[in-house]
Amino acid sequence: MIYERVELSDNVGFTSIIDDKFKSCSLAVYFLTELSDKTAAVNNLATGVLTISNSRYKTYADMCEKLSELYGAVLCSVARKKGNAQILGLRASWLDNKYAIDGEDIGGEMRDLIRSCLFSPNVCGEAFDSDSFALAKKDLLDRIDGELNQKNVYAVSQAVKLAFRDEPASCAAYGSRDAASAASPEDAFRAYQEMLRTAQIEIYYVSPQKDDSLAEMFRENFAEIKRSPKPVKISDHSPLKPEPLTVTEEFDVNESKMVMFFKTDSDDRYALKMLSVIYGELPFSKLFLNVREKLSLCYYCSCISMATKGAFMVESGVERSNIEKAKAEILAQLDEMKKGNITDNEINGALMALDNAVLQITDSPSGYISWFFDCFTDGRFITPQEHYKEFAAVTKERIIAAANSLKPDCVYLMLNKEVQE
Amino acid sequence: MEKEILTCTRTGDSCIHVKHRSGLDIYICEMNGFSSIEAQFGTKYGSINTVFKTSSDPEYTCVPEGIAHFLEHKLFENEDCKVFELYAQTGASCNAMTSFDRTCYFFSCSKNYEENLRILLKFVQEPYFTQENVDKEMGIIGQEIKMTNDNPEWRVFFNMLGCMYHAHPVKTDIAGTAESIAKIDADLLYKCYDTFYNLNNMVLSIAGNISADKVLEICDECLHPCADKGLECVFPDEPDGIVRPEIRETQPVGASIFNLGCKCSPRLGLERLRDVTAASVASSLLTDPALPMCEKLLKDGVINSTFGGEVFYGSGYFTLIFSGESDFPELVREALFNEIDRLLTEGINEKDFQRIKKSSYGALVTELNNVEAVTNLMLSSYIDGISPYDTIEVISALTSADVMDFMRRELRRDRAVLSIIEKEK
Repeated sequence: MIYERVELSDNVGFTSIIDDKFKSCSLAVYFLTELSDKTAAVNNLATGVLTISNSRYKTYADMCEKLSELYGAVLCSVARKKGNAQILGLRASWLDNKYAIDGEDIGGEMRDLIRSCLFSPNVCGEAFDSDSFALAKKDLLDRIDGELNQKNVYAVSQAVKLAFRDEPASCAAYGSRDAASAASPEDAFRAYQEMLRTAQIEIYYVSPQKDDSLAEMFRENFAEIKRSPKPVKISDHSPLKPEPLTVTEEFDVNESKMVMFFKTDSDDRYALKMLSVIYGELPFSKLFLNVREKLSLCYYCSCISMATKGAFMVESGVERSNIEKAKAEILAQLDEMKKGNITDNEINGALMALDNAVLQITDSPSGYISWFFDCFTDGRFITPQEHYKEFAAVTKERIIAAANSLKPDCVYLMLNKEVQE
Repeated sequence: MEKEILTCTRTGDSCIHVKHRSGLDIYICEMNGFSSIEAQFGTKYGSINTVFKTSSDPEYTCVPEGIAHFLEHKLFENEDCKVFELYAQTGASCNAMTSFDRTCYFFSCSKNYEENLRILLKFVQEPYFTQENVDKEMGIIGQEIKMTNDNPEWRVFFNMLGCMYHAHPVKTDIAGTAESIAKIDADLLYKCYDTFYNLNNMVLSIAGNISADKVLEICDECLHPCADKGLECVFPDEPDGIVRPEIRETQPVGASIFNLGCKCSPRLGLERLRDVTAASVASSLLTDPALPMCEKLLKDGVINSTFGGEVFYGSGYFTLIFSGESDFPELVREALFNEIDRLLTEGINEKDFQRIKKSSYGALVTELNNVEAVTNLMLSSYIDGISPYDTIEVISALTSADVMDFMRRELRRDRAVLSIIEKEK
């Protein structure tokens, strides 16, 4: 594997990863901006419409036809968040030219298509093409409405809003329905121009052989843009609520959901991750073995450390009548960790799992892209092996300290309507 | 034992097939440059296999719905520990899944694959069921059934199957029901285990950073030879027609969704692969946003980007399913069948057909980039009775006339079922 990051323009990074085991090429273009209710939806619409049409392929039908001619090349928009940042952009992947049956230059055609999407979009005056915008808008509104279809996703989303109330991180990556409904093609185009000027931009290209033409294309096009990047503060510690809050909603569902949030003032992210793995990320973690296997209280019960926000989340699917028992056992298992009831086997098992996981990062283009993007947002470029060494250096005492730093912040409950208490 | 090298002439990829002396079929793909290893140990035993006999059984045995899935859960428990605890010592990620026609146990790792493989082969061959541990599992599986019933994608799919199949057990939830699993006991689990977890009915698929010789050495060490028991599964007679054409259910969802399934004739082996490939290309043509029908439905707001199609098949069932989010699924059904009629009258545009073929070929080649996908490919080919690279060959040979023939034979209005999950008003 060969890795190189160059700065193409002011705060525009281009990371190239060459790995000859792959049969395809992958590209990700990420715009980082601060999450805000005012801009999240319109920013999302702006990048959403980029993948629907461009000045060369002026309708979604034309765009889809071209992509399928290129052996089913994939082009899609991205909208997610990390800490207080909204991460928008596009991702593309295509078959390496070596596998083209008729000798087509798939890579060259994709480079031109992506150039047109980003730097020559389908606009009419100072607005995105209205038909393309309408498609992007319907898709976004449907995504927002459809969140309730997946009950666990909805429950976590509501819990996140509660945990980070009044902070940028409370905002959904997609933005709000009201803001999306109100946005016009003009608003979205303006938002895109603003992102091109002010967003931090990171581009990742994974390919089986060296190819500088994409970096050159980006360099030439960004040279035309007067950049004035705004810094984005991704990480901060979310404040602990004065009193833990519980919010409930009732739905006509069979299984209730409980999402518990804790806050921490610890910056020891490696100890928090070790704590998370031993406590509840894996099938041999304390939550799985006790809450699910021993007491049969939940089909799933797992946790995650959100180091960028100083938060820690436990999510579970549970019968309404068992909620208090499940909560008590979840807290009891955390108390065990606070008291230092952590075995060498548990620590070694967590390390082994992390060792296996970090080695698999290099087995997919998306693994590479996630890894290097996380390094960028963390402000620290290390190899997966160096990352593992940080975990190996975590002592039991640091894990205990991380456990003791967790303080209850809030609980979101999705309750089954039918059971009367 | 003879190593058979299977090669994809289009890409140069290859894998090894061995019929092990224990009775097990083994597929191995050494993937240079990759760090991870994926292994799947599977049996041709899923939720549809509820009536069966072996050559030594005087009569057919009929078992409760959901027992294959229940057995999968219980096999993760050894006499002296849980299987998860063994994998905790090696760092591998392990899990299992039960579908309609298979149960698979798998691990993923990048170190210690030899030890992980030993654990996998050992625990699947050493069942330990007691009435106590069976009773304890009822609660967890009951929770799982409740959870899946809250999943609208699951509900819309099973509602469709229930309206499509009169008798075939594919219409029943993989995990069964609270009532059906209550009838399961340790003896029944052993009966099913002894019948279906015979190595002659099983497959090992392993890919990634491995040595084929080492894998075979471990197989020699861990596999207990089995006599072929002459397993026979039977399915009730299933009429060609459907039960009813439409079903609606209201759920607390944010977006209404639908499944539109066309009941097709089930086939086997390579004949089925040809139909699967033709159905898949037909589905791509009928859901292609580049073509006028979809373009209009998108523009009119009838569908969104979730609209797509998939082929669903197994022993005794074959369905082409169109699905997505829509507040107007009846319009989607009408548009689809009008488009099928148009294509059958006017023919398929050859340029569109070649474009879809290229796209399918690209997706298949890209799959070979991925260790997990290669493991799945090899295992599925065994279950489906074909060779791992047959699909690439069949798609390359497919003509538009083959797709027309499939559509004419199988995509009929009178065999279509529309299942809808609607938002609460």
